[in-house]
Amino acid sequence: MKRLVTSLALAASLTAFSATGVLAADAAGPSSDDLLKSATNTEAVLTYGMGPQAQRFSPLTDLNADTVKKLVPVWSFSFGGEKQRGQEAQPIIYDGTIYVTGSYSRLYAVDARTGHKKWEYNHRLPDGIMPCCDVVNRGAAIYKDKIYFATLDARLVALNRETGKVVWNKKLQEYKEGYSNTAAPLIIDGKIITGNSGGEFGVIGMVEARDAETGELVWQRPTIEGNMGTLNGKESTVTGKTNASWPGDMYKTGGGATWLGGTYDPETKTLFFGTGNPAPWNSHLRPGDNLYTSSTLAINPDNGEIKWHYQTTPHDGWDFDGVNEFVSFDLKKDGKVIKAGGKADRNGFFYVIDRTNGKLINASPFVTKITWAKGIDIETGRPIYNDDNRPGAPATGDAHDAKGKSVFAAPAFLGAKNWMPMAYNPQTELFYVPANEWGMDIWNEPITYKKGAAYLGAGFTIKPLYDDYIGALRAVDPKTGKIVWEYKNPAPLWGGVLTTAGNLVFTGTPEGYLKAFDAKSGKEVWKFQTGSGVVGSPVTWKMDGEQYVAVVSGWGGAVPLWGGDVAKLVKDINQGGSLWVFKLPKA
Amino acid sequence: MGHALYQAGLAGAMIVAAGVAFAAGSPSDPLNSVMWEALRDQYFAGAPVVFDDAVRVNAPAAAEDTRAVPVSVDATALGHVVEMVAIADLNPFPLVLRYHPGTAAPYIATRIKIQQATAVRGAARTADGVWHVSGVMVDAAGGGCSAPPASYAQKDWADHVGEVQARLWPADTDGVARLRLRIRHPNDTGLVDGIPAYFIETLRVDAQTPGGSPELARIDSLEPVSENPVYSLDVRPPPDATALVLRGRDNQGGEIRATIPMPPPGAQPAMRPAMSLKPADQPWSVGQ
Repeated sequence: MKRLVTSLALAASLTAFSATGVLAADAAGPSSDDLLKSATNTEAVLTYGMGPQAQRFSPLTDLNADTVKKLVPVWSFSFGGEKQRGQEAQPIIYDGTIYVTGSYSRLYAVDARTGHKKWEYNHRLPDGIMPCCDVVNRGAAIYKDKIYFATLDARLVALNRETGKVVWNKKLQEYKEGYSNTAAPLIIDGKIITGNSGGEFGVIGMVEARDAETGELVWQRPTIEGNMGTLNGKESTVTGKTNASWPGDMYKTGGGATWLGGTYDPETKTLFFGTGNPAPWNSHLRPGDNLYTSSTLAINPDNGEIKWHYQTTPHDGWDFDGVNEFVSFDLKKDGKVIKAGGKADRNGFFYVIDRTNGKLINASPFVTKITWAKGIDIETGRPIYNDDNRPGAPATGDAHDAKGKSVFAAPAFLGAKNWMPMAYNPQTELFYVPANEWGMDIWNEPITYKKGAAYLGAGFTIKPLYDDYIGALRAVDPKTGKIVWEYKNPAPLWGGVLTTAGNLVFTGTPEGYLKAFDAKSGKEVWKFQTGSGVVGSPVTWKMDGEQYVAVVSGWGGAVPLWGGDVAKLVKDINQGGSLWVFKLPKA
Repeated sequence: MGHALYQAGLAGAMIVAAGVAFAAGSPSDPLNSVMWEALRDQYFAGAPVVFDDAVRVNAPAAAEDTRAVPVSVDATALGHVVEMVAIADLNPFPLVLRYHPGTAAPYIATRIKIQQATAVRGAARTADGVWHVSGVMVDAAGGGCSAPPASYAQKDWADHVGEVQARLWPADTDGVARLRLRIRHPNDTGLVDGIPAYFIETLRVDAQTPGGSPELARIDSLEPVSENPVYSLDVRPPPDATALVLRGRDNQGGEIRATIPMPPPGAQPAMRPAMSLKPADQPWSVGQ
C-alpha cells in the first residue's frame, strides 16, 4: 500500500511539472526544419551525424584543450540484462532526454540530468536473424512526437518518445533471406529513409523512403542495375541499364547493401548513400564494373531517382564496401569555395568529390599500405589496379573444388576504415578519420547462390601490418590529401569521432578509453576508462549552462567475429553495455 | 467454492454509495485475499464497488496447467454492462484483461496464466458506474507466469505469430452469437530473463455491413492471458452483416487481422452458459 501511495504522489508531481516546466514546442517535438538545422543546435543532438551532413562538429567552445582536463563523469547507465556485445550507437539528445539504442535491438529513454531510465523498448527478435557482423545498432532518429529505430530482423519501429509505446512497426525486408538493419534512420521532410544490411547473403541493396507519420512506403531505389524502383506504390524506373556491367542474372543477387544508412545535404537537396560490396566476393564470377556496388549514390529525396554515382571500387574483389559516409563540406581551395564531399573509403583512399555532380577532385591514401591499386586516376576517377593483387579464380574442371591463388592484400576486408564515422571540423578544415592498418590473405572458392545462405565464395584471414599498432586516428587535409597528424592505437579503432569548435577531437578505443585530442596538433589531452571497449560515437551538447559529452561503452562489432589474428589480440577485452555522460562543471 | 459464493451473495446485498470505496467501510473481501485492498484502489480507484454473485466467475478449483487456466466471467444477469475486468490477485500482473462489450452480451471467456494459488475475480461496471465484483479461489502449483512460452521450443514460432483461427456460430433468438477466437502468439510476460515482453494488447471485432463497419466489442488484453490465447465472446452481429473483422495489435506493434465468415446456413447456435446447467450443479464448468 505504501508503495502505491508513493507512486501516486510522484505521478501528481510529474503532471505539475509538465504543465509548467515544459514548453509547448518541446511537447510537439523536433520539426523537419529543426532536423535540417540540427548541426548548429548546441542544446540538442537531433540527428545521427550531429547534423544531416554528418560532420559530427559541435560549435561549442566551453570545452577546449585547456578546460578538458576538468571534464568529469556525471553518471553511467547500464543497458542491463545478459545481452552485451557491441554497443555502436550514437545517442540522440532532446529536451533533457537521451535516446540511445543498445545491442539486440533495444532502445532506451534516459533522463539526461540524472541517468534515470524513463522507459525501455526491448524488441522481440526471432531466433533466425542473420546479422553478419554482431548484433549492433548505430542509433535512433527523432521527429515530432516519435522516436524511430531499425531492428536486426529488418523492421522499422516508431515509438512515442514520451511513453515508449509502439506506434507502428513495419517490415523493411525479409530477415530469413539474410536481411537485417543496424543503421540509424535519416528523416528528411517528413520521410524516414533507410538502407539495408545483408551484403554477405546475396541480397539487393535498397534505399527506401517512408512516410514518417504512418510508415507507409513512398519510394524504393534498388542499388543494383537492372532492378526496378517504385514510387507511390507503382513501378518507377530501372536502376542503371540492365546487364551493362553485370553478366546474366547475377544482378538479381548482386549485393550492394546500403547497411550504413545515409547523409543529406540541405544545400543541394541530395541524399548520399554508400553501397556495399558486390556478391559473391569471388569477382571472377561477375566480370564488369558491377554497378552500383562499392559506390556513393546521390539520390533525389522526393522520388528516389539517382542524380549521380561515384564508384570507388569497380569490380571489387576484396570486400571493399563503399558504404562509408559521404560528408558534405565546403572545400576552400585556390580562393574558391567548392561544394564538396569527403569519403574515407574501406579501400584505403580518401576521396574528395564535387557533391553537385559526382566528379572526383582528389583521392589520396589515408593508410600506409594499399596493394590492390597504384592510385586513383583523377581524370577518369577510376583506380589503377595492380592486377596480380586480385585473388585468383578457383580451378575449374576436375579440380573444381580447389581454391584459387591466394594473395596478400591491404587494406584487409574489414577496411582501412569500417563503419565508424569520421568527423570534419570547418575551423581546422581537417577530417578526423578512424583508420586501421591491416592486410589479409584472401583466396576464392567455388560458390552457388542459395537464398538465406552466406554468398561469399572466398576465404580470408586478417593480419596486422605492424607490431605496435593497428588503429590510427588521422587528421586528413582534404585540400592536399596529406595526413597532418596521427594517433596510433594498439587495438583496431572501431568507434566514431566527434570534433568541436573548442579545438578538440574525441574518439573511443577498444581498450576502454574515451580520449580527447588537440584538433590541430593531435596531442592527447584527456582520457577516461569506461570499463569496456568504446565502439560507439560520442556527442556533445549544452544543458543548464554546462557542456556535456556522452558516449556508449561495450566492446564488440565485427573485429572479434571476423578479425583472424587480430581477434586473438582483443579476446581479453571485457564486454559491457552502458551509457556514460560527462560534463564540464561550472566554475 | 460454495462458501465463497455464499459470502459474495451476502456482500452483494450491501448497498454502497459512490465514493466510499476508499473508506474503511468498504465491503470486505469474501475471498479474504491479502491483495484485495491494493487491487481495488488500483483498478477501481474512486468508483463504488459491491460484491455481487450476479457476476459469475467460472474457473477450475485446481489448475491442471498453470499456463492456461480456463476462466469465464458472465455478467448477463446484470443486464447492460459497460466494461468488464478479470483479475488474478496474486499474479505478478494481476489485471488479466479489460473487456468493452459494446453491443455484445457481457460474457467473456479465456485462458490465463496463474503464478500461484490465487483469487480469480471478474468484475462488471454497469451504466451507473458501480463495479459488481465476484470471484473464486483457484489452487495451483507455482510458475505459470514466469515459464517461457512452450512455442519457443519450435524454431519457426515467429513465422506463425498473429495467425487467427475463428468460428462464429449463428445467433440465437436474442440475436446473440457465440464467437471464438484463437490467435497464435507467445503472449510472453517478459519475466523470463533475457526475453522481452511480447503480448497482445488490443483486439476489436467489427461487423462488415453494406452501411459501414460498426464496432461490436473490444478487448484490452494483457500479460496474464495464455500463450496462443483463446477468447469466447457473445456478440450481436447486425442482421445485414456479411462478415466479422478482427483487428488487433501486440505491444511491439505487430498487427493481427482476420475476416471471419458468417456461419453456414443450417448451423446451430452454440450452447451458452446462460442456457446450460446452474454453476452449483456443474462445479467444473469452464464456460467454454
